[in-house]
Amino acid sequence: MVKIMLKKDFTEKVMEYGKSRGFTDMEIYYSSGSNLSIKVFEQKIDNYSLSQSEGVSFRGLYNNKMGYSYTEKLDDSSVEFLVDEALGNAEIIDADDEEKIFSGSKEYVKIDSYNSTLDDVKEEEKISFTLKMEEEAKKLDSRIESIQYCVYGDGSDEMSLANSRGLSLEDRSNAAFAYIGVVAKEKDDIKTGFGYKVTNDFSELDPGQIAKEAVEEAVSMLGAETVESGNYRIILRNNAAADLIDAFSGIFSAERVQKDLSLMKDKLNEKIAVDKLTIVDNPHLENGFASSSFDGEGHATYRKNIVEKGVLKTYMHNLKTSEKDGVESTGNASRGSYKSSIGISPSNLYVEKGDVALEDMIKGVDNGILIIDLQGLHSGLNSLSGDFSLSCYGYMIENGRKTRPVNQITVSGNFFDMINNIEEIGCDLRFGLPSDAYIGSPSIKIESLSIAGK
Amino acid sequence: MLATGLIDRVIDAALSTGGDFAEVFVEEKTNSGISLIGGKIEKTMSGRDYGIGIRIFDGFFSVYAYTNSMEDEEIIKTALKAAAAIKNSKITKRRDLESVNIGNLVNPIKISPESVDKKRKIEIMKRAYESAKNYDDIISQVTVGLSDYKQKVLVANSEGLHKEDTRVRSRISIQSIASKDGEMQTGYFAPGASKGFEFFDNLDVEWYGRESSRIAKTMMNAEYCPSGKMPIIIDNGFGGVIFHEACGHGLEATSVAKGNSVFAGKLGEKVASELVTAVDDGTLMNEWGSANIDDEGNSTRKNILIENGILKGYMIDKLNGRRMDMEATGSSRRQSYKFAPTSRMSNTFIANGKSSKEEIIANTESGLYAKYMGGGSVNTATGEFNFAVMEGYKIESGKITDPLRGATLIGTGIDVLQKIDMVGNNLAQGQGMCGSVSGSIPTNVGQPILRVSELTVGGRDGENNA
Repeated sequence: MVKIMLKKDFTEKVMEYGKSRGFTDMEIYYSSGSNLSIKVFEQKIDNYSLSQSEGVSFRGLYNNKMGYSYTEKLDDSSVEFLVDEALGNAEIIDADDEEKIFSGSKEYVKIDSYNSTLDDVKEEEKISFTLKMEEEAKKLDSRIESIQYCVYGDGSDEMSLANSRGLSLEDRSNAAFAYIGVVAKEKDDIKTGFGYKVTNDFSELDPGQIAKEAVEEAVSMLGAETVESGNYRIILRNNAAADLIDAFSGIFSAERVQKDLSLMKDKLNEKIAVDKLTIVDNPHLENGFASSSFDGEGHATYRKNIVEKGVLKTYMHNLKTSEKDGVESTGNASRGSYKSSIGISPSNLYVEKGDVALEDMIKGVDNGILIIDLQGLHSGLNSLSGDFSLSCYGYMIENGRKTRPVNQITVSGNFFDMINNIEEIGCDLRFGLPSDAYIGSPSIKIESLSIAGK
Repeated sequence: MLATGLIDRVIDAALSTGGDFAEVFVEEKTNSGISLIGGKIEKTMSGRDYGIGIRIFDGFFSVYAYTNSMEDEEIIKTALKAAAAIKNSKITKRRDLESVNIGNLVNPIKISPESVDKKRKIEIMKRAYESAKNYDDIISQVTVGLSDYKQKVLVANSEGLHKEDTRVRSRISIQSIASKDGEMQTGYFAPGASKGFEFFDNLDVEWYGRESSRIAKTMMNAEYCPSGKMPIIIDNGFGGVIFHEACGHGLEATSVAKGNSVFAGKLGEKVASELVTAVDDGTLMNEWGSANIDDEGNSTRKNILIENGILKGYMIDKLNGRRMDMEATGSSRRQSYKFAPTSRMSNTFIANGKSSKEEIIANTESGLYAKYMGGGSVNTATGEFNFAVMEGYKIESGKITDPLRGATLIGTGIDVLQKIDMVGNNLAQGQGMCGSVSGSIPTNVGQPILRVSELTVGGRDGENNA
C-alpha cells in the first residue's frame, strides 16, 4: 500500500482563501484509494488493473447557506477553484433548513477496519487463487460450459475530515473480494450462477467454496420452467431478502420523511411490521464493511434498532434533519464520495436473525416458491409507493420439499404490506456486496405474494 | 492536455516489457448538479474530474492502470507498474503520433454550460416545478434536477493515433409524486442531449412537468395490472428500452467475444421478425448518446445491427475485436478514466415500420398498452430480460381503456424479437443512463410503437384469494 495524503498546507490555504471570500465555517474532506483487480479467462490472466486516486471535497457556510465543491485535480489552482465554486453554489440555495459544520462528538469508539496482513499477500498468491477458482468451477460439474467472469480484487481507502471548528478525524479500511459467474448448459438450456466473498482476511477466501456456490446455483437451475400465475407462499432466500431491504432502506431516511418522500412519515413508534421483524443499523459491527466510528459529518456513530419488534423506533438522521425534528443526530450522515454532498444512508443495516433454519422453513410449506434471486431492482420497484414487480427465479416447494427449478416469473407485492405478512425469519443472516452501505438479511418467509408466470 | 513528448514517454514505458499496443486516455471534466425539492433549491454540487488511464495489450491480455497525479514522473511510474504485468521478449515499437484535428461535426455546442449564470438554470427548474406542482391537487411533491458537464478527452496510442474531443451534455429530470389515503405514486421524465445550455431554449419544460404529474395522477387511480402472457403494445421513444435490454447488450462484443451471448455465432442468421431493423448510431447530431469519436479514438458511425430480421453486426471494441478477428466499430465507451473502455451502445433504436399507431391498437383484441416504460436489465448469457412499465393501459376490443399500474415485462431476447408482429411509423428517442462493465454512460433508446404478440406480464392477480 502506498500512502498518499493531502499536503499539509493545502487545507490551511483553502480555509484562508475561503475566509477572505466570506465563508464563516469550512470543511475539507479528503479521500484516497488504491485498488488492484485480476481477471482470469481460460486459465490465463485476461486482465490486470491497478489504480491510485484521490479527491477533495470542500464545503462551507456562506450567508448561512452551505456551498459544496470538489476536485480531483490537486494543483495550486484548486484552492481558488474549490472556494469560488462553493460560493457560487451557496448563493443559489434557497431552502431554509439550518446547516452546520460540526465541532465534534464527546467520544468516539475505536474501530479498526484495516487488516495489515492483506498488505503482505504476494501477487503470485492472488493470481494462483484466481486461476484456482476458475479451475475448480470447471471441474465441479461437466455441464459447466464456460466461465463468464472470474475476478479477484482488493483495495484500501483512507479519508480525513478537517474543519474550521477544530474537528480533525481520520479513518482507513481495506478489503479483498472474489467473485465468479458460470454458465451451465444442457442441450439448448443455458443457466448462469454467481458466487462471491468479501473479506479483509485473505485466508478466508476459499476458491473452491466460491466456485461451488456459483456452480451449484447454475446447475440446479437447468430445466427451469415457469409456473401458473397466482398467489403463493414465498420464501426469499437471505441474499434476495437483503437485496429487497437494500432497495427500500431509503424509506427510513429522515430527509425523505421531511420532504414528503416517504410513507414512514407520522409512523414513529407505530407498528409498521410483524413482531418478529427487527431491523438494526450497526456501524460498529465486527467485520462490517460500512463500520466507522464517525459519520460523514464527523458525528459519532452508534448501534440502534430502526425497527424493533415491528415498531418504527427512529428515522436515520444527520445534523440537518435532527435539528429540524428536535432530536439528536443518529450518526447516519453520508458522503457517497468526495463528489457527493451530505445525505443520509445506513451503515451496516440488517434484519436481526431468527431461529429457523432455511431447510425447516421449506418443510413447513405445502405449495410455495423459494426465490433465490431478484432482478431489475433499480427499475421494477418504487420505494415511494412500496410497489414491486420483479423478475426472479428459484425453486418450487411442494409438500415441504424443493421439487423443481422455476424461472421466467415475476414476484409482485407491496413492501409495506409484505412486512406485515412475514411468517418466519431464518437464522442464516448473510450480507450482500458492500457499497456505501452494507446490507444483510436472513431468509424470510412471507404468507403470500403474487407470482406471474403462464 | 498532455504534452506530446510526455505521451511518447508514457507509451514507451508502457511498451517496455513487450506489450504490443499501448494507449493513453486523458480526461478533464467539469460537472455541475442542482437539485430542487418542494420549489426550493436544496443542494448544489460542482467540481472537476481529472485523470489518466493507461491501457496495454499483449495479445488478448490487457492491463489497465489509472492515476490522477499531474506529475510527469508519477504518470510514467504508473505506466511502468502496469507494464510490469507483461513479460514478453518481443518488443513492439511505437509509431510517431499523428495529431488529427477532428472538429466537432456531431455535437456542435452553442452555449457552454459553465458560462451560464446558475440563476438561469434555476429559473428553468422552477418553471418545471411549477407546471408539475400546479397540475393537480393530488400532486404532493415534485423534485427537479438539472445537471450538465463538459468532458475533454485526449486519446493517443502506440499506432500513432492522437485525437482530442469535447463532450458537452445537459439534462433535466422531473419526478412528480401523487399522494392519497396513505398511498404514493410517481411519474418521471428526464430529457437530455449532447448540447450546451441552448438545449433548454427549445425544450418545453412545462409540458414535461405536466406530463410527469399526469402519469403520477393516472397511476394513483389505476388498478393493478393482471398477470400472465398476453399481447403487448409498447409506444415509441423510451419504449426502445425493450430492444436495449432484450437484444442490445447481447450484441456488444463484451459478451459476444467470449461466447457469453445468445447472439454469438449467429451473424447472417434470422434472429428477429422480418419487420425488425435495428441500428446503433453514435453520429446522430446532438443526441444524448452521440460523440465525434469513441473512447479509443475511432470515429463513431452508424452500425446496422439487424436488417429485416437478419443479424448483420455487433458493436465491437479493439480488444474484443482481436478475439473475434473483426474490426472495431467505433463503439468503445467508458464512464471515465477510471474504467477501461469496452463495446457499448450509443443511440440504439428500431427503425420505422409501416403501420400507424391507430392500426396497431385497433388490430389488438385484448392486451396491455405500455405508454411509457421504466428501466430494465438483462442476463446476456441466457437472454433473460426484465423491464418496468411506468404507465400502462388495458386494451379491450381494439381500444385503449383503463390505466394499469405495477407491471414488469419479462422474456428472453431472441424469443421477443421473433414475436414482434407489428411495427409503427412514429420513431422517437428517449434518454437513459446505461450501467455495465465500463461504468455508467449516456445512451439513447428508441423505437416506433410496436406490438409483441406475447410476453409475460408480471402484474398482481387475485389479491383476495391469498
